[in-house]
Amino acid sequence: MSKVNIDSAVKALRKSIWVFHLNSGSCNGCDIEVLDALTPFFDVERFGIKLVASPRHADVMLFTGPVTREVLPKVIKALRAMPRPRMVLAIGSCAVGGGIWYDSYSVIGGFPKLKKILMEEGIIIDRVAFVPGCPARPEAIIYGILVLLGVMKPKSKKEVVTIE
Amino acid sequence: MKFLKLFVVAKKAGTVTRKYPFEEPLITEEFRGEIKIDPEKCVGCGACTLICPPSALTMRDEGNVRLIRYFVGRCIFCGMCAEVCPTNAITITKEFELATLDIDDLLRDLLHKRVKCRICGRPFLTTKLIKYANKDIPGSDNYADVCPECRSKLSIKNILKYRGDLDV
Amino acid sequence: MKNNDVKTLAKGSDKAVDMVLKLLKEKLSKYNVRISRAVANNLIVDVSRRHLRDVAKIVHNELGAYVRTCVGCDERNKNGCFAVYHIFGLDDYGVNVIVRTLAPANDVKVPSIADIAPGADWCELEFRDLLGINVTGRPVYRLILPEDWPDDLHPLRKDVPYGVRPPPVKREEVTLTELESPGIPVGPYHPALHEPEYFELYVEGETIIDVRYRGFHIHRGIEKLGESKLTYKQIPFIAERICGICGFCHSTCYVMAVEKAAKIEVPERAEFIRAIVLEIERIHSHLLWLGVACHLLGYDAGFMHTWRIREAIMKLAEYLTGSRKTYGINIIGGVRKDINKEKIQNVLKTLDHIEREVKELLDMMLSVPEVKRRLTGTGILTRGEARKLSVVGPVARASGLNRDVRKDYPYLAYKYVSFKVPVYTEGDNLSRTLVRVEEIFESISIIRQLLDRLPSGDIKVEKYEIEPDKVSTASVEAPRGEDIHFLITGKGRPYRWKVRAPTYQNIPALRPMLREQMLADAPITIASIDPCFSCTDRVIVIETRNGKVVSVKRINIVKLSRRRWPQNEVSKALRSS
Repeated sequence: MSKVNIDSAVKALRKSIWVFHLNSGSCNGCDIEVLDALTPFFDVERFGIKLVASPRHADVMLFTGPVTREVLPKVIKALRAMPRPRMVLAIGSCAVGGGIWYDSYSVIGGFPKLKKILMEEGIIIDRVAFVPGCPARPEAIIYGILVLLGVMKPKSKKEVVTIE
Repeated sequence: MKFLKLFVVAKKAGTVTRKYPFEEPLITEEFRGEIKIDPEKCVGCGACTLICPPSALTMRDEGNVRLIRYFVGRCIFCGMCAEVCPTNAITITKEFELATLDIDDLLRDLLHKRVKCRICGRPFLTTKLIKYANKDIPGSDNYADVCPECRSKLSIKNILKYRGDLDV
Repeated sequence: MKNNDVKTLAKGSDKAVDMVLKLLKEKLSKYNVRISRAVANNLIVDVSRRHLRDVAKIVHNELGAYVRTCVGCDERNKNGCFAVYHIFGLDDYGVNVIVRTLAPANDVKVPSIADIAPGADWCELEFRDLLGINVTGRPVYRLILPEDWPDDLHPLRKDVPYGVRPPPVKREEVTLTELESPGIPVGPYHPALHEPEYFELYVEGETIIDVRYRGFHIHRGIEKLGESKLTYKQIPFIAERICGICGFCHSTCYVMAVEKAAKIEVPERAEFIRAIVLEIERIHSHLLWLGVACHLLGYDAGFMHTWRIREAIMKLAEYLTGSRKTYGINIIGGVRKDINKEKIQNVLKTLDHIEREVKELLDMMLSVPEVKRRLTGTGILTRGEARKLSVVGPVARASGLNRDVRKDYPYLAYKYVSFKVPVYTEGDNLSRTLVRVEEIFESISIIRQLLDRLPSGDIKVEKYEIEPDKVSTASVEAPRGEDIHFLITGKGRPYRWKVRAPTYQNIPALRPMLREQMLADAPITIASIDPCFSCTDRVIVIETRNGKVVSVKRINIVKLSRRRWPQNEVSKALRSS
């Protein structure tokens, strides 16, 4: 799919996206914040977002966890089952950078390392957004979804400061 | 029929939704968000990189610079770096809206220029760290811009000179 | 062992330890054992492999001790052996009896005690997997490491680096194709599961006859990181992330173990603050569980309202500690954040509000006909079975066992407050729910008492020194049960750190609970032990038609069935297929 097609597909989906929650070995902190986003205080259903039962119905995958070695083939299967355009929201410090155990023997290292493995398998991820936090607040998750869909502009920018 | 009291409970609770992002989020004054390193105060000692549990703050010496890199993506927002910094250069902000599409946007780099050793010419420490370490020690200007190996050689030479064992 | 002295004894005190020492010397006099005192309320009994089973039988059966955990350790650079520590707890005295055996490096095996003390079943498989210490006298299978991990690489040995990444090893798929019914795969990603677990269910009509399970998807290598990369000061942060729901208990347990080993005197104000935050975590966890249980029963209104009330606790936790979850206020020697008068007022106001709302909501919720009928009489765990498996937490208290770490092995500021431990005897799902509901109200009362008596003073100790080679344990009553950490100190970082989370002890209890169950009642029964797989990292064993434990391979299932029950329906089905 060319870039132009992806942007128009995302725009068409903007009104109500269906999400699937995938836990690849996380401690459950970010997962209960994802569930918390559905409860009355934050209520993502007012954006039309709902949790679905299968990756085949999903538009966006909510990805938590640092991808442990045991779970790797199963995550690849689940991501392969998603139809294009594939969008992933990597939530929490485990999914963005591997977390506090990024170099352990049993951990692959978060979504960026997984993306390389997926490219070798031929699975293309069209868009990824990264939400840091430990655990990521429900408000940060909502902000992440809005950035992923292109509704809001990301605030964070790379900074390089030189000191004499 | 007691379960019909659900309607009473629901009516009393009312609507509690905070319509973020159109309304304020539920943040308290103690919340720990992203950290900010003040370039004026940082001396490049690396104490924060030793305590950081997930190694989100890393230090690397390459060429003429010392690079202190803060990777927001792996930060666990514990605030220990702010507690150990000797010059109080690290402040904890309340920023949590950190989502990006490009992972490189989550890097914050601080490049300190390193001082070259007066004798052998190799870079060793940052300018500010030398000034900070030597500011309360009198008579240290002689050794301030000399790297550790050359410093030990120089101080032995000076001791021998003082004792009159070396004709220089 | 009950006499009048025990009733008035201060549990865990020096007097209690001396009494247990005398008792052990008397009972174990004919075996060649050496009994020594370790840190605080721990006694170490050194025994040879030959007499291990006899000593375990005496301690577990005659003295009535409960199995707490067992730990394997690579001590080759100290004495050329691998060591196995079996930790038993005597609730009446508040003393731990640690039975230590050594296996030399050229003959690395120990006898199994799983038939004497079924609570130690999985610990033995664990040290076989991670350290390579063989266990004789029982069926063995791979428990923890990933399927594609090579057989001869044991990560927790001292000569294996923490970042080792061996190439994957292909194994042949074990399929249960001989049974007539096809397998229904559930997981690892399924709408009913929040964590990745994989079940393959073989059903006949509505009853489950066979299951294949593969767990340990969340194994992250935390103990190895704690022993090789992180230092003493950094470990409280990784301990808090073992589990996102009961994380503060793990970090408190670790710092308590280090403080006991190094004899650090923590200021009283810090102990009170830790106890307050622990109780706040308990309220939050029980409200979370009630919401999830309602959701599994199909009563979503209960889910939404319980989590609405829980939001006030999350905000309170952030107000006191700085983060909604994974608080990060525990350090060795005290806490990092203080409570001032204004915060105390706000806490009391929030507690009043929560107490009122929870009372009203639960009153209404437990009278809903579908909730009441589905919870009553399902998933029964009898008292005898609970004692045999050494279960912990609300599961034990709902089956008539009066076990609570806050009363049996007192710690922190709990000796200054008075509270009730709710005990029910029916052992069904409703009792477990009622135990948790009562604990919410008890926690609110405990926090009020603690805030009332908060002493003034420092909140942390700045200078301390940690000497190497000290053996220490610490335990905490987490919302799910007893959480225990075992520590051997080293230079700059622990030599051996072992975590045994409460769900680990409770999962074998699923076997008798799911006996003769309908498929529809299985989810709420499994959820009633409040499983937290990220704490556990253990294999869940599901039920067969008779509600027995099945292990992963089919051959083992048949062997187990033939050995244990005369009426073997499974093999009958096999013969007829």
